[in-house]
Amino acid sequence: MMYPEPTNIWESIEYSSLGITIAESTWMFPTFETLHVIALVTVIGTIGIVDLRLVGIASRGHRVSLLAKDTLPWTWGAFALAALTGGLLFISKASSYVINPYFLWKMGLLVLAGLNMVYLHLTTWRTVEHWEQDPSFPFAAKLAGWLSLIFWVGVVFFGRAIGFTLGFYY
Amino acid sequence: MGDLLYNFTEWLRSTFLVELALSISDSSLSLWIVTHFWMIPIIQVIHILSIAASFASVLMMALRVYGVAGHATLDETSRRYTRVLWWALALLVISGLGLIIGEPVRELINPIFWIKMVLVIVGVIVALSFARSMRGHVRRDGFVQGGEVVGGGTKATAAFLVILWCLIMAGGRWIAYAPV
Repeated sequence: MMYPEPTNIWESIEYSSLGITIAESTWMFPTFETLHVIALVTVIGTIGIVDLRLVGIASRGHRVSLLAKDTLPWTWGAFALAALTGGLLFISKASSYVINPYFLWKMGLLVLAGLNMVYLHLTTWRTVEHWEQDPSFPFAAKLAGWLSLIFWVGVVFFGRAIGFTLGFYY
Repeated sequence: MGDLLYNFTEWLRSTFLVELALSISDSSLSLWIVTHFWMIPIIQVIHILSIAASFASVLMMALRVYGVAGHATLDETSRRYTRVLWWALALLVISGLGLIIGEPVRELINPIFWIKMVLVIVGVIVALSFARSMRGHVRRDGFVQGGEVVGGGTKATAAFLVILWCLIMAGGRWIAYAPV
């Protein structure tokens, strides 16, 4: 099958041999999607355990630093798999994704979720051992937990919305 | 495999499920979901978030059994995540029903949907009895040098559960790609 000459970087990615291979395969896209779902579900599930503790909804009898220690390696491992599989899905339809507003929102929320996490760890989290046994956590810790939950729910929503709107924009 | 699924679909088409699916699609709730573009994606988001909660619960219990994510005792870990598991399962069933009502033909006349349902039933029963066995463990074996005794059977069940839940998620995604 012939493909048109790429006119921008996104079309160059889409019409690369890897992009074409994934797009033309019957099983690759659904398989990467499946791995992407399993990975992101693990990311959000494990982050949610820590977030729900931070905001004071669940695991109130558990120290948040220990919960984080238990979950974080798995969060990062799953995030790496989600990024890899997400990248492969992106390559196969790059020029459709970059003009999809929901895709852009999703990427924006991912950045916000990352910044929120970095900020928490550079500030309030440094003294976690001092406040994690208190009945109520510092406002900044609770706020970070709520923001994380909101950002990640948003990531799932926009991620799902992409699948329903991919052909809408051109 | 493709032929097998195709024959499965053909068989589903010969059952009462066709009538059932069509009558569900005529219901006012189904029509309401269909005519509101964002309803299916929103219900799917709830479904995915519930899966995140239930899979994370299963995963954390399994990892605890292997001793790789364990600040709490087996008993504490089981109690903490069983509670989440029940909430998540309730939401999974409700959102799942919403998806069936919204798209009855896509789900009920779909071989992968029914394979997933069988896996779900097995997955839920094994997960709940696994969580229960983690609690029983403490009473029977007590503590051994800061840790607890975990038998090979429990570890095997843990690994089986994680794989089973991954297959359930795979089934969920492949419903969209079934030959219907």
